[in-house]
Amino acid sequence: MFVLLKHLAKLRRDIALPAPHSHGSLAVRHVDAGSCNGCEHELNQAGTPYYDLSRFGISIVASPRHADILLVTGVVTTRMVEPLHRAYSAMPEPRLVAALGDCARGCNILGHGSALIGGVGEVLPVDLVIPGCPPEPEHIASGLLDALARVRPGAS
Amino acid sequence: MNMAASLADTTVRPSDWQRTLADAIATGARAVSLHATQHDVRVLIAGPEGEHLFRCPVVDSAAPSLIGVAPSLEWGEREAHDLVGIRFDGHSPLRPLVTHDLDLAAWSTPVHGHGTSQVAVGPIHAGVIESGHFRFHVVGERILHLDVRLFYKHRGLERAAGGMGLTEALPVVQRMCAACAVTNTVAYAHAAEHALGLWPAPDLARARTILLELERIYNHLHDIGQLCAGVGFAPGTMTFLALKERAQRLNQRLTGHRFLFDTVAIGETPFRVDAGTAQAARVELGAIARAAREGWHEVLFNGSVQDRLDDVGIVTREWAKRLGAVGPAARASGVTRDARSESPRLSYAGFTAAAPERGPTGDVKARLDMRAVELWAAFAFLDELLATPLTGGVAVAAHDPAVFGASRVESPRGETACVLERDDGRVGRLHIRTGSNANWRVVAHAAADNLLPDFPLINKSFELCYSCSDR
Repeated sequence: MFVLLKHLAKLRRDIALPAPHSHGSLAVRHVDAGSCNGCEHELNQAGTPYYDLSRFGISIVASPRHADILLVTGVVTTRMVEPLHRAYSAMPEPRLVAALGDCARGCNILGHGSALIGGVGEVLPVDLVIPGCPPEPEHIASGLLDALARVRPGAS
Repeated sequence: MNMAASLADTTVRPSDWQRTLADAIATGARAVSLHATQHDVRVLIAGPEGEHLFRCPVVDSAAPSLIGVAPSLEWGEREAHDLVGIRFDGHSPLRPLVTHDLDLAAWSTPVHGHGTSQVAVGPIHAGVIESGHFRFHVVGERILHLDVRLFYKHRGLERAAGGMGLTEALPVVQRMCAACAVTNTVAYAHAAEHALGLWPAPDLARARTILLELERIYNHLHDIGQLCAGVGFAPGTMTFLALKERAQRLNQRLTGHRFLFDTVAIGETPFRVDAGTAQAARVELGAIARAAREGWHEVLFNGSVQDRLDDVGIVTREWAKRLGAVGPAARASGVTRDARSESPRLSYAGFTAAAPERGPTGDVKARLDMRAVELWAAFAFLDELLATPLTGGVAVAAHDPAVFGASRVESPRGETACVLERDDGRVGRLHIRTGSNANWRVVAHAAADNLLPDFPLINKSFELCYSCSDR
């Protein structure tokens, strides 16, 4: 199986991401506020060998209490607005919020139905936007690298 | 089966409602989906004669319940109650499904006894997972009962589609679920064409079949990878998710989108493949298939993986039928039914439903095996379908138009059924009962009597979407 893993370096030559830093890390908490599951699929792919977010010090953490950044997918539904608020309030400061995908960044792809609040910006202060429907793993990775640069002390 | 005909549509008096459906089921038909408007309750059944829509007028916001006749319609009635306000006489207790602003006691099952407790999980999960809530009733680590509470992601998409032009609604249907985007849009397009009196010519049927099988391949690769994650076998996860990446890159080369978005239209197809691209796709699919077989061999002969799979999350054939299980999960329990063998609008001539290699034991192992056997079939199938280039394709007039159209399409998770009521050139009432929606109750059933730490594994052996269940 593991032939694949021997060829990681070759796989990664396909990807236009910078070389990993020697320091810094970013703990990401994901919240699905009402997505179509596309952003979740692509965020998961960003952790697989082709992109391998963990080599940059970027990891998905289980609790918002451990997180530097809240990565929100989907249009915010009326049923997810409270869990979203609770996840955000549980985060330590300083904290960042990223809107992942066109629904989260408020493109109104699904209209203005009564089950919908709108983009994440309607509910939380958004620091970072990663566009796409859904965004490709490479764009997710480079978006999170931007966030990493923001939280790294002394970063330009 | 009279293929090219408008949908059989029968209105039944409330006093005859239960008996009529019981008679239909006694003659070999199966209740597929239920939805309602303020005027009537509608049940789609599928039988040897094809699909048939039965309608029962709603009187004083009530209709007789069918759950005694067809238990698989339970969620349909609960959804119709919450979204349309219909009471179903005989459905007791009629617990809320979509409505959330209610106390725990209103929606969960009462469990009493020595040593019982509850474990609440979600709606936000620890990994990158869609939102939904599981409430486990446990004694120690043993699950007594699981209440699945979904619809956190309810976006009202069927309602949003209402009033849109038939083509205008496609992007909304597509975003019910990215991972089942082709299935859902093909089901919708079939229902629309059915209502319009159109029938797909062979090239259109082949274009859609290729897209459906491309969707199945990346999803099944994903599911095997996720199941490896469920037992903590990272090399398997990474191998299969890397193969999924290759499959999605192929999707992008063929259609311009990794999830095959915007490839389905009504009455035609925008999907074209020239001879060179088709040949290159066959070569890449062959390479992915070989690597997947090597990976599968490693999974099959890894004792620490296999030891976790036997006898976990069992669904017997009887329960699978009773709960209306569909797709690989139903076939893993010995229900040899696959909507592809009943899809005359697609290129599935001679198709027969697959069975798990190591027997239909109805456990996690059988559901995992189903993904593998269906993958090998899909690779072989696509190799044939891509042997000639695709230059387009249209649907042609075949029968009288009607108000209603219906369809059933096999998604990677099982049969997805669509019923469309047309308001001239616009969507009147749209209902899509996806494979995931049908199988969530089966997940809850499979979890009972198992250990709580095995639930992630049981859940991943179904790997259902929350988004196309909640809509």
